[in-house]
Amino acid sequence: MLKATIDTDTFRETIDVIAAMVTECRLTISEQGIRTRAVDTANVAMISLELDQEAFSSFLATAGELGIDITKMKNIVGMMGRGDVLSLDLPDDGHKMEMVFSGYKYSLTLLDVNTIRKEPSMPSIELPAKIKISGAALNDAIKAASVVSDKIALGVDPAANFFYMEAEGDSDHIRLELGKDELIDLVPAEARSLFSLDYLKDMGRVMGRADEVEVQIGIDHPVKFRFGIADDNGRVEFLLAPRIEAD
Amino acid sequence: MGVGLREILADYRAPVSWDALAGDAAIDGNNALYQFLTIIRQPDGTPLMDREGRVTSHLSGLFFRTATMVEKGIRPVYVFDGKPPALKTKTIEQRREARSRAQEAWGEARAAGDEAEAYKQARSATRVDRDIIGGAQELLGLMGIPCLNAPSEGEAQAAYMAQQGDVGYAVSQDYDSLLFGVPVLVRNLTVSGKRKIRGRTVSVEPERIVLADLLAGLGITREDLIRMGILIGTDFNAGIKGIGPKTALKIVQSGRFEEMMAEKAPETDAGPIFEFFKSPPVLKDYAVAWTPPDEAGIYDLLCRTYDFSPERVKAVLEKMRSTTGQKTLDQWF
Repeated sequence: MLKATIDTDTFRETIDVIAAMVTECRLTISEQGIRTRAVDTANVAMISLELDQEAFSSFLATAGELGIDITKMKNIVGMMGRGDVLSLDLPDDGHKMEMVFSGYKYSLTLLDVNTIRKEPSMPSIELPAKIKISGAALNDAIKAASVVSDKIALGVDPAANFFYMEAEGDSDHIRLELGKDELIDLVPAEARSLFSLDYLKDMGRVMGRADEVEVQIGIDHPVKFRFGIADDNGRVEFLLAPRIEAD
Repeated sequence: MGVGLREILADYRAPVSWDALAGDAAIDGNNALYQFLTIIRQPDGTPLMDREGRVTSHLSGLFFRTATMVEKGIRPVYVFDGKPPALKTKTIEQRREARSRAQEAWGEARAAGDEAEAYKQARSATRVDRDIIGGAQELLGLMGIPCLNAPSEGEAQAAYMAQQGDVGYAVSQDYDSLLFGVPVLVRNLTVSGKRKIRGRTVSVEPERIVLADLLAGLGITREDLIRMGILIGTDFNAGIKGIGPKTALKIVQSGRFEEMMAEKAPETDAGPIFEFFKSPPVLKDYAVAWTPPDEAGIYDLLCRTYDFSPERVKAVLEKMRSTTGQKTLDQWF
């Protein structure tokens, strides 16, 4: 059972973040709020998202799992006005969720959770270097790199105490170095891993709205991005597997 | 050979792009090998062979097609048949006889110089035996693609894996998979592209059937679909002469399955067949893992052992390398 109302901007932000990674997901609801953890179809990227009940203007729920068609949901949130209120209503054992906003009343058939991939366990990864950077700056760097290449290296030079991003195209090259003063925070450690910009561009678009993104990197390890949503009443973690660096 | 449901499926077979198929897929291995062996032949029906006369059509199909899948972001796991159920004995015997008749007819047609007939008979003589499967599994192992040996029917195992959500869909040309309860069946994945059907070259593209949509559309349950299969004929029974999918649908919709069986096919015991489709023997405890390809091993097997063109194999290996440059999160879970 779920009976809740939420600001449409907050809901849209939440759906956009999930849509950057997967087209469908299992949404776990509890008295405390909602959360999801899903891996993309190629097992390359993972999203973990939590939205506390405080992010809602009203929230009443019993524990359950919903199968959400994120692609369809994204089309629906595209129709919502700014600063509007959305009410969600799912009866006990219901397969249809009612969504009401701006006079529209949608009755949405939920997906059978059994047809959606199981929620992955949380991998335990040690990523020694940590950077805190504004989401806008991070997104700009991703966009800048994609002009010349389809992959980007993220690294930290602990001796020189800076974080860098580097992309090598067939004929062009781009490098950006940011010292501690230009970042919100830097915990230096030897780190360098290569990532596909295909994935990062989608993540960058949604991270661009965050005031602060924590980036964790290691050597040829996945990168982890952590940031808040819904006025810090929600938390998101993106995990992206590296590419193999060619010699 | 599956169950002849084709006629009623027209509205539920939707074309699907390769891009939409990225993800994990359970492939009916025996069915894929059979497709490769029937399709990859010279005009007179002679399969691809190495210089020692060993058939290599299946290895060619498997290698090039699997590499294409991987390039498109599909992670295949090939599922092979185990021990056939006792119910299938008669079908297996009939197939064996048909194959040996076709084998003879192929020889005669070739001797008579009738190419079209030779091609047709050669296809009918196709056999997926232990050597074929062994060779295929050796190649898949080198490619880092997982294989699973089902305890019984491969399609049943693939359907189970899709039901569990461990793979996104199952791939087979046969509609039996639907009777086994596969939530999403993808066809034409191992055979898509230009293909000769009854002398005409047609373009075959992947298509997807969603079981829930099919059942809802026909207004029946999966149990009804199994009953329809039994009326039409499956690998385990001959079916009732004169009953096709449309008539079978009417019969199950009006609840006359038992009556029809008793009247028209009293010799068939539908119970065990129904049970087999409903809950077939499957392996519930399995693990599949994809590993990077062993390029040198693949090259040795295909080019040194089976005389494949080194240029073509190298080009594919290179392509696989660039697509497999992306690691997955698997190793960190």
